[in-house]
Amino acid sequence: MPAIVLDRVSRIYGKEVRAVSDLTLEIPDGSFTTLLGPSGCGKTTTLRMIAGLDMPTMGTIRIGDKLAFSIEEGQNLAPAKRGLGLVFQSYALWPHLTVAQNISFGLEVQKVGKAEAAQRLDQVATALQIDGLLGRYTSELSGGQQQRVAIARVLVMQPSVLLLDEPLSNLDATLRMDMRAELKRLHFETGATIIYVTHDQLEALTMSTHIALMQGGKLQQFAPPLDVYSHPANKFAADFLGNPRINLLEGKIENGLIRCDGLDVALPSDIAAAANSAVTLGLRAEEIRLHNEPKSGFAPARVTAVLPTGSDWYYHVQMNGQTLTVRQSGGPQLQLGDEVHVEATPDPIKLFAADGQALAMAPGPVLP
Amino acid sequence: MRSAYNHFRLGLTPQRILAFLFLIVLGYLVIVPLFLMVRETFIVHPLERFQIPGSRVGEWTTAHWKRNFLSENAYAFFYRPLINTLKIALGFSMLALVIGGTLAWLVVRTDLPLKGLISNAAIIPYIMPSWTLALAWITIFKNERIGGDQGIFTALTGIVTPDWFAYGLFPITVTLALHYFPFGFMLIGGALRNIDAQLEESAELLGASRPTILRRIVIPLVLPAIFSTFLLTFSRGLGTFGTPAFLGGPVREFVLSTSLYANLIGQRPGIGYLAAVAMITLGVLVLYMDYKIIGTRRSFVTISGKGARAGVLGLGRWRWPIASLVLAFIVAVIAVPLIALTVDTVMLRPGIYSWDNFTWHYWIGDASLTVGLGTGEPGILRNPQLMSALANTMKLAVVVALITGIIGILVGYAIVRMRGSWVAQALDQMSFLPYLMPSIALGAIFLAMFAVPRGPIPSLHGTFWLLVIVCTVSYLPYAVKAGISAMRQIGPELEEAAVMLGASWWTRMRCILIPVQKSTYFSGMLLPFISVTRELSLLILLVTPATQLATTITLRYTDRGWYPYTNGMVLLLVVIVVISTVVSRRLMGTSIAKGLGG
Repeated sequence: MPAIVLDRVSRIYGKEVRAVSDLTLEIPDGSFTTLLGPSGCGKTTTLRMIAGLDMPTMGTIRIGDKLAFSIEEGQNLAPAKRGLGLVFQSYALWPHLTVAQNISFGLEVQKVGKAEAAQRLDQVATALQIDGLLGRYTSELSGGQQQRVAIARVLVMQPSVLLLDEPLSNLDATLRMDMRAELKRLHFETGATIIYVTHDQLEALTMSTHIALMQGGKLQQFAPPLDVYSHPANKFAADFLGNPRINLLEGKIENGLIRCDGLDVALPSDIAAAANSAVTLGLRAEEIRLHNEPKSGFAPARVTAVLPTGSDWYYHVQMNGQTLTVRQSGGPQLQLGDEVHVEATPDPIKLFAADGQALAMAPGPVLP
Repeated sequence: MRSAYNHFRLGLTPQRILAFLFLIVLGYLVIVPLFLMVRETFIVHPLERFQIPGSRVGEWTTAHWKRNFLSENAYAFFYRPLINTLKIALGFSMLALVIGGTLAWLVVRTDLPLKGLISNAAIIPYIMPSWTLALAWITIFKNERIGGDQGIFTALTGIVTPDWFAYGLFPITVTLALHYFPFGFMLIGGALRNIDAQLEESAELLGASRPTILRRIVIPLVLPAIFSTFLLTFSRGLGTFGTPAFLGGPVREFVLSTSLYANLIGQRPGIGYLAAVAMITLGVLVLYMDYKIIGTRRSFVTISGKGARAGVLGLGRWRWPIASLVLAFIVAVIAVPLIALTVDTVMLRPGIYSWDNFTWHYWIGDASLTVGLGTGEPGILRNPQLMSALANTMKLAVVVALITGIIGILVGYAIVRMRGSWVAQALDQMSFLPYLMPSIALGAIFLAMFAVPRGPIPSLHGTFWLLVIVCTVSYLPYAVKAGISAMRQIGPELEEAAVMLGASWWTRMRCILIPVQKSTYFSGMLLPFISVTRELSLLILLVTPATQLATTITLRYTDRGWYPYTNGMVLLLVVIVVISTVVSRRLMGTSIAKGLGG
């Protein structure tokens, strides 16, 4: 089963609103690809267009060797013929049917034989550990159980692609952690391609093999999660991924140094940045060290908040009127109000030009 | 070009096809008739060519308008019925509001005993035919001077009722108020019930006294409901026909609806259609006021909130006296009229209330030339004409309930799925239009519309299907409202989940969308069913001897003074309506208030 390919797909509402704009994306077969972005970025619209529930205004969508959508060809393949399963954010379980009836609905519609239907229902119910709930109505289930039924209803059709629209957003924090692991196991066991929509960057980082980061209807970056984390394609990508948020410092290129109000970092030789050009340096919380003694290239700062989490200490430090977030795993404990000296240790270096695009060369495919 | 065509072709979803289909059908059944009716006021009808010198049938004329508004007869033709209509509508709406609002407040916000019984009983006057009370009034209070015989009241007390009390504007206002107060009870009760207790509690925490809370919080919150109830009853009152016909007829006191009827079946159809135009104009004015004052259309059900029920007011030692008063009122409004009507059907000679005058003749008697009223008429249950009229009524009620129910679902579906588009808005507004048309005026429109063949549509005059169409159009606003609210409660994902599994549109409707909201749809169908069963105003102009209905046939018996037959038929209708309401509530969990959108 080859990849899912979106070629210059746009979805325009009315005359003005571009929900998705000129999106080109190739989702590899067997991947766990996350469509990530803030609300209104077009990720759900993209998912719905892949599913066939929404029609692109222009562009082409291919799913494997099937042409799913093309205006020029006059082709808009019915959702059920695309070989996909979709789990809705609200689960969309039918309240007037029992769990078994919910799961079997698709089998009935597709006229699967009774014996086979019963066997498939049994199999999927066992796999998702809901075999004890088959006779219940969905209103009698907990959130996590409803979630499993929604997934079972889709899996029973044996789709080669599984679409998940923010499936964990209605669960409490503990259950969410469990379901993350379970979805990863599901991906491994079924071997299906999973397209997963979320606005939670932590979910995206922990679960996916690929992240498609979107904003304002446009694709910002498409790469494996750690590549997006380490080599963000632009300031938005750097800012959106990572918790706590990345520290962004305005600076200037001078004498082979990136100088940010007293804080200096050496400019690596493979980065082409013109002298005296304005740049933005991105420093993750773990890429900052705090020292008691001053040194050339260090910048003085004052501790304004101490936030221990048990394993790590988070500090907020005030440096030239800007607040930086710093993570330290060990070292001397600092007190509120301590005078410190900030050292920047970016690895790799995340440097952005005035237009917000990254100046570093990222290994993954970087799209405009 | 090709891609534009492909866009169109691929975009042909079921909801779009449905929406455009209904846009055309509703356009023909709702918009076209309005124009036709105005046209009728400018045309010379066959009987009018003698009244307008030198005119030929079908010619254009302004004579109707001049005569209606400017001639020396204008007062009798138009202004007096108009003033009567406004007096009655204003009077009974106020009265209904006061009764319904007070009852609602007592039931929702006080510790009144027997709440369940009172709430159930308070709805009964509404499900009875509106003119049941008018007939009961005549049976009880008629006087010998005009009615010919004395009523029960005179027979018992010896006091002869004065004309103004027995007939005309006063009894019309009172009986209509007693019929329509359940509107106020249901709508205001719903609004009071939905007020979030926290709204009042926060005011209390800020130090507001109980009267202040009532004045500044509670009343403003239920004000839309109060106002909408008023407008709802007011606009229903404009088009009501039975009550003013029964109570105004004997003293020749006309309102717009009875004047319309008299002129239309008489010799001045042009004047009759002008009365219809006037009634619709009034209806539009009423809605415009609603829109101006409350701000949103159909705001009478929009207050909603969660949270705890508001605290109830203790009535203290007044608890039982007030409850007795309420019960006495309900007995007076429901039991007394029904008993009076029943008594009347078992009294052989009218006006004599004694045991030796007792008879089953009017129920099961043979056709007789000598016994009782109604020369040659068999008793009601053996009377083929009456029984076939009753069968027609039942057939019509079932067919209309089914058709409006289905249309409500489909139009509701199209509107909800295409929310935000101009098509959805147009459909929404169009299906709401009949609400503005007083029912007898709507009947008049359809008389004009289907009397002759138009294009591919044959003349439907005198057919059962014309009755079906006019009833469907008339109850469309309720059906569509029920359909929309049912569909809104079903998220689009519930349908999309079935789409993803390959279910066809028909399968989705059959297996998902309809079963999920079964009880709401049935409530939406119950209202048309009951309404058709007791409908008179809408159909009085459209029935012919072949399509006679239980309601319309009673009017003929009333005209001849054969009240035992009329009253017996009304009793049968009341029994049918009450039984079907109770049965459908038991079986389907339907409720009238739900169907009304309350």
